[in-house]
Amino acid sequence: MKKLVVSVASIMKIGLIIAIILYQKPTTITQLHPDQTIDEQENQESLNDAEKPKTELLQPIHIDDPITYSLQNDELNITFDKGSNWITVPVEKDQLFDGEYNGNKRELIEVSYVLTQNRAAFLYSDGMDWDNKRILLTYSLDQGKTWKESVVTKPFPAMRFRKVDFLNDKFGYVIISGGRTMSQEFSTVFLTHDGGESWEETTNSGVTRLISDGGFIDETTGFLSFGTINPEEPDLYVTQDAGNTWTEAKVNIPAEYKEIFVQAEVPVKEGGYLAVLINQGPNGDYKGGKVKGKFISKDNGKTWEFQVEVNPNETEG
Amino acid sequence: MKQKGKLIKIAGWILFLFAFGFFCLQMGYLFAHERFQVEYIDNRLFYLINISCVICLSLAIFLLLTLTKKWKWIGTGVVIVFIIVNGVLLTFSNQEVKNITSISPNFKQVLSIKENIESGNAVYYRSYYGILARPQEKLPYVTDGEFQVEWLANDVAAVTYKAADNTIHQFIGTYGDRGTGRSYYYVGAEIHGRWKGNNAEVVSNTEGITVTQNGKTELFEWDNIVQFGTLAVVLMKNNEAAWTIALNENFQMHSNSAIPPSGEISLYQATMEKNKPIILQNTTSN
Repeated sequence: MKKLVVSVASIMKIGLIIAIILYQKPTTITQLHPDQTIDEQENQESLNDAEKPKTELLQPIHIDDPITYSLQNDELNITFDKGSNWITVPVEKDQLFDGEYNGNKRELIEVSYVLTQNRAAFLYSDGMDWDNKRILLTYSLDQGKTWKESVVTKPFPAMRFRKVDFLNDKFGYVIISGGRTMSQEFSTVFLTHDGGESWEETTNSGVTRLISDGGFIDETTGFLSFGTINPEEPDLYVTQDAGNTWTEAKVNIPAEYKEIFVQAEVPVKEGGYLAVLINQGPNGDYKGGKVKGKFISKDNGKTWEFQVEVNPNETEG
Repeated sequence: MKQKGKLIKIAGWILFLFAFGFFCLQMGYLFAHERFQVEYIDNRLFYLINISCVICLSLAIFLLLTLTKKWKWIGTGVVIVFIIVNGVLLTFSNQEVKNITSISPNFKQVLSIKENIESGNAVYYRSYYGILARPQEKLPYVTDGEFQVEWLANDVAAVTYKAADNTIHQFIGTYGDRGTGRSYYYVGAEIHGRWKGNNAEVVSNTEGITVTQNGKTELFEWDNIVQFGTLAVVLMKNNEAAWTIALNENFQMHSNSAIPPSGEISLYQATMEKNKPIILQNTTSN
């Protein structure tokens, strides 16, 4: 027993000493995201330490994910192997955030890109004129060896909501909105059947409320959910013919949940029917505001019946 | 006597377990540091944990084993040297990198800024699990080392600092959201209207944000307003921060522009002198 204690203790002591030596090496705090590109900062930096190297070591934005990206050095780099090798995406960083977006530029706008083993695709816009921009998708199907650029639409006003997704190698969709005035805007959906090379606009839903989300669950069935800031009831539109017609889905909310479940998320397929989670919007306070209502539809999205309350812990992975 | 001996043994094993726990923490940290670029939220923690580990370990050995006088002396010597070395390194490390750490009033968030004293570069860290942190962004101006931290809400920390050229700047660490957390919104637009508080008034309209305090009125145009997260804006004048406006926890926004937002906002002056935020209420009538 004595031997055990002494040997474990010695190993620990030696371990700690090695740890101290290792810890002395990298006490730097310099490998950072250079995102706050305020002009004055750059001026000041160049005045203060002119000899400092301009480029920084790239760090993956999601450390646990082998396929991820970095927005350091004012460019978009992607990696498929946790940051061992980087590929620069031929899109300017500012273009990725172009439009009505004033948020953090350290991370890409959620759902504005697809980054998987088989496809890297980035939705963005260019053009100086606020009302006359081109909406573009730059994508690669061979992990960044070659890149293609396709025009989703032009002209389009400055984008607010933007989402791109692919359901398989060929079929994908882009949902964008723009031209917002107060709480009204124009939103529209584009589909591709050739993996992103060409895009066709679907019939417009005619709704001018602010779009909060949308998506397709197969090549014909898609949804648009409206009402972003203070919705009073879910406003879900469905198409069952690949966007030729949009109809308002009927969500039968039980009386006790009226004005509680107000904002529809994107429906998903579940067994033989569809399921959608309807959340409480930004101001919900029912059971803490996080509980969502799960509704199911047996007619492919036209009518929805309440099924069960869902705890956020079960829905947010 | 036998009972006492047993208690000592138990205490010894508990201390030994503690020491082992600290040891595993350090090893885990080194691995995580190498692999995920995480750091302790305060660089000095590394040395403090080392010291705690060695103290627990030596006490455990004293309690568990019967040592000869010679070994007792050697053991004590080694421990003292180890503590001194760690203490010296701790002091040096803080001279190289100054740690500014502040815990939110509800103890849920930790603000961490590390400043490289030699270069004046300061970096804002985002905390994970209370003691670990990853670099999030560099403060835009080289600092002169003086920082003042004020929590405007449980999830909004305002850091006021002086840049090397003597201008005053504010950096806002935000750890939350007043919306769904899914969509971005503009703080300036959400506080559209007239807000009044103790001797101060804020008006947000299409021109910008106007701040009146003690009879002095200043207009900050939208170009001079910098948003942090979705909780706060800093109003700039001549490339210097003048005020921060943060949404308080009771702030609620409404998309329907006819309904003014409810709740309160905080107005906080950018100055190196100690000052308290002013709480403002909406006075826009329907």
